[in-house]
Amino acid sequence: MTSTLTPYRPAGSPGRDGFAQILHAEWTKFRTINGWLIAVVAAAALTALLPIAIAGTAGNPVESCHAGNCQVEGSVVATGPGGEAVVDQFYFVHQAMEGNGSITALVTAPHGVAPKPHAPLDLRLPATQPWAKAGVMIKESTKAGSAYAAVALTGGHGVRMQYDYTHDIAGSDGKTTPLWLRLTRRGNVITGYESAGGTHWSAIGTAVLPKLTTVVQAGLFVASPDYTELASGFGGGDDSNNGPTWSASSFTHVALTTGAAKWTGTAVAPPGATQQNIIFPIGPHQQKCGVTGTCPGKQGFSQAGGTFRVTGSGDIAPFTPIVDPLQVCLFGVLFGLIALIAIGVVYITAEYRRGMIRTTLTASPRRGRILAAKAIVIGTVGFAAGLIGTVIAFIVVERKLNKLGWMPPVWHILSATSSIGLQVIIGTAAIVALTGVLALAAGVITRRSAGAVAAVIGLVIVPLVLGIVLPLAPARLVLMITPAAAFSVQQIYPRYSQVSTTCAPYHGCFPLAPWTGFAVMCAWVAAALIAAAWLLRRRDA
Amino acid sequence: MSRAVRAEWTKLRTMPGTAWLVFAGIVAAIGASWLASAIVKCPSSCGTDTTKLSLTGILIGQAAVAILAIGVIAPEYGTGMIKTTLTAVPRRSVVLAAKAAVITGVVAAAGVVEVLGSLLIGRLLQPGNGFSAARGFAALSLTHGPTLRAAAGSVLYLALIGLLSLGAATALRDSAAALTVVLGLLYVVPVLGVVLLSHRWQARIDRWTPASAGLAIQATRHLARLPIEPWPGLGVLAAWTAGALLAGYLLLRLRDA
Repeated sequence: MTSTLTPYRPAGSPGRDGFAQILHAEWTKFRTINGWLIAVVAAAALTALLPIAIAGTAGNPVESCHAGNCQVEGSVVATGPGGEAVVDQFYFVHQAMEGNGSITALVTAPHGVAPKPHAPLDLRLPATQPWAKAGVMIKESTKAGSAYAAVALTGGHGVRMQYDYTHDIAGSDGKTTPLWLRLTRRGNVITGYESAGGTHWSAIGTAVLPKLTTVVQAGLFVASPDYTELASGFGGGDDSNNGPTWSASSFTHVALTTGAAKWTGTAVAPPGATQQNIIFPIGPHQQKCGVTGTCPGKQGFSQAGGTFRVTGSGDIAPFTPIVDPLQVCLFGVLFGLIALIAIGVVYITAEYRRGMIRTTLTASPRRGRILAAKAIVIGTVGFAAGLIGTVIAFIVVERKLNKLGWMPPVWHILSATSSIGLQVIIGTAAIVALTGVLALAAGVITRRSAGAVAAVIGLVIVPLVLGIVLPLAPARLVLMITPAAAFSVQQIYPRYSQVSTTCAPYHGCFPLAPWTGFAVMCAWVAAALIAAAWLLRRRDA
Repeated sequence: MSRAVRAEWTKLRTMPGTAWLVFAGIVAAIGASWLASAIVKCPSSCGTDTTKLSLTGILIGQAAVAILAIGVIAPEYGTGMIKTTLTAVPRRSVVLAAKAAVITGVVAAAGVVEVLGSLLIGRLLQPGNGFSAARGFAALSLTHGPTLRAAAGSVLYLALIGLLSLGAATALRDSAAALTVVLGLLYVVPVLGVVLLSHRWQARIDRWTPASAGLAIQATRHLARLPIEPWPGLGVLAAWTAGALLAGYLLLRLRDA
């Protein structure tokens, strides 16, 4: 007699320990614990609300100047050929040049002629700025912000051809000085040359200036950017030294192909700027040159025989705001992040504490898959919470900042769907997700809540604090090697190598490029997951 | 009371993680101080407060202190040990006071090592990095009044952070929650005090939150420019600590274990 009893087989038994089932089980575990759901909602709400609250405490850009965050007095920023904010202040010895032609000069490297105004007494030596420039220039007009092309010897970056503020082409190392420099105009194309002896010329690069007028100004120029020294300090006591600098240079064998009328000296500056450039943070050592009359140098030129001596101050460069108000507001997401760290850790340590882990591992003995499923659940939950929170924060904060007067051309107003807006939003949500996964891995590794929470906060959040309180050099190092480097995805301003900006983390500036910093965090998370998977396999539950 | 203290001391001493944690905290703190003193050089950052710079590691050391202090009470709720503790010593105030005494002793001892080690490293490294007598920087020394105040104050700071963590953990009864709150208070809130776009709010946070105000005790230069003076700053932290301990005590008394 054959048995009529068939063993019980639940429906859908094939693939019962397939990955989809594990994922479903882990998701069920997560979703059925009220405390965790509340914590996720709280994380999303904190992510949205704290940036908005921070924006709520912000004043307009001028008010924030007095908080030591200011770097620009509105009037000194000029508008460049593309409508972008630029710095355009220098000393220009020029005359008109009609149509095609060229200008040539034998130029000595710029050297600093005035001490940094606030340097300690014993260091009050004339200092040459690395990006001080002396050379020849063809510029549409002497109006600040007009199109130009220039070749120059710099204080520390060799020979450079630069045009229209954002473009920078390296020439030779500039070790031979004096050096022959030449600019040639042919229609809208300007070519820069250099030569050691004045006979063999090598081209550095070409610039296309689309809307160049027939009559342009050609001549000699010297610029010397402001210097800034920052030393941050926890609990105030921020120490920043800054101010204008001056450089001088000699020019001989000056030749202009279209004739040689009288040379005119002009201190190029946007209307409203005083005689010298006054771009500098308003800090404890503020100094207004030309207002208080304490400027240690003076722009100008002298001509004796065939030799021109030109002294200049300022810079010709894209303007990068020091403070990034959007990123400052987005520091508020840290509160949501810290909530997600706690969830990610407890998602696994609670199983160890309650003994649930044994049930989990009995049901699905392949441990790597358990970890993967948990990582996917916490990563997805974190991404969703981060995305919702960041989208709301981004839109409200941008609108509020715009209303307060943080507006173009100096500050960008981004729409959430622009490519940089998406970078900020998706990048921030991904940071929240990855932090959750990192917390999970730390929970597996330590199997204790306290140790794991402390480790993740130590890796993701403490570096930001250190970045703010430490002096600049160690601060930058910390923000390059820890997962906190990923916050660089919140940066919205391009950085230019030809401008020495002081990249201070407490102004929202990170040392690594956006997605490079993000990759650092990915590497940490990957390493933590591998370590966690290895330990989960090796250890008894 | 002395028996309660001895009991707590025995518990803390025999927990497997304690010695390791104290050691790791000291190493991390002195290591961070060493890094800061080694990297900062004078021609580029001459405005640096050298005493405060050499005590940078306290910022890291405080995390170990928080973990240690939370560890003397929160895990007891996880394991049920708290019932034994309260059966043995029924008076809640005595239990909390004993735990506070033990934590203060351990943290103060570790703090003295961290502070002296950090100052010694600063004294050895900084002159070579341009903070030399020739530029008007005296070598760090405890005979210098403000430096002594910063050193003793840093030890007090750590002790107060330990007690604050103990109070928070007693109130919250969970390691993860207490640690999240305390580390958030110590590390996230001060960030706001530096980055905020509004001067008024910056000053409020610098003056009234525990970490920013408490660390004013380390400043030895530009005292007039501090948002809060050194001792009043430490007083603000002490007020937070008193509040946390009081909240912890009241909840311990009112709730069942």
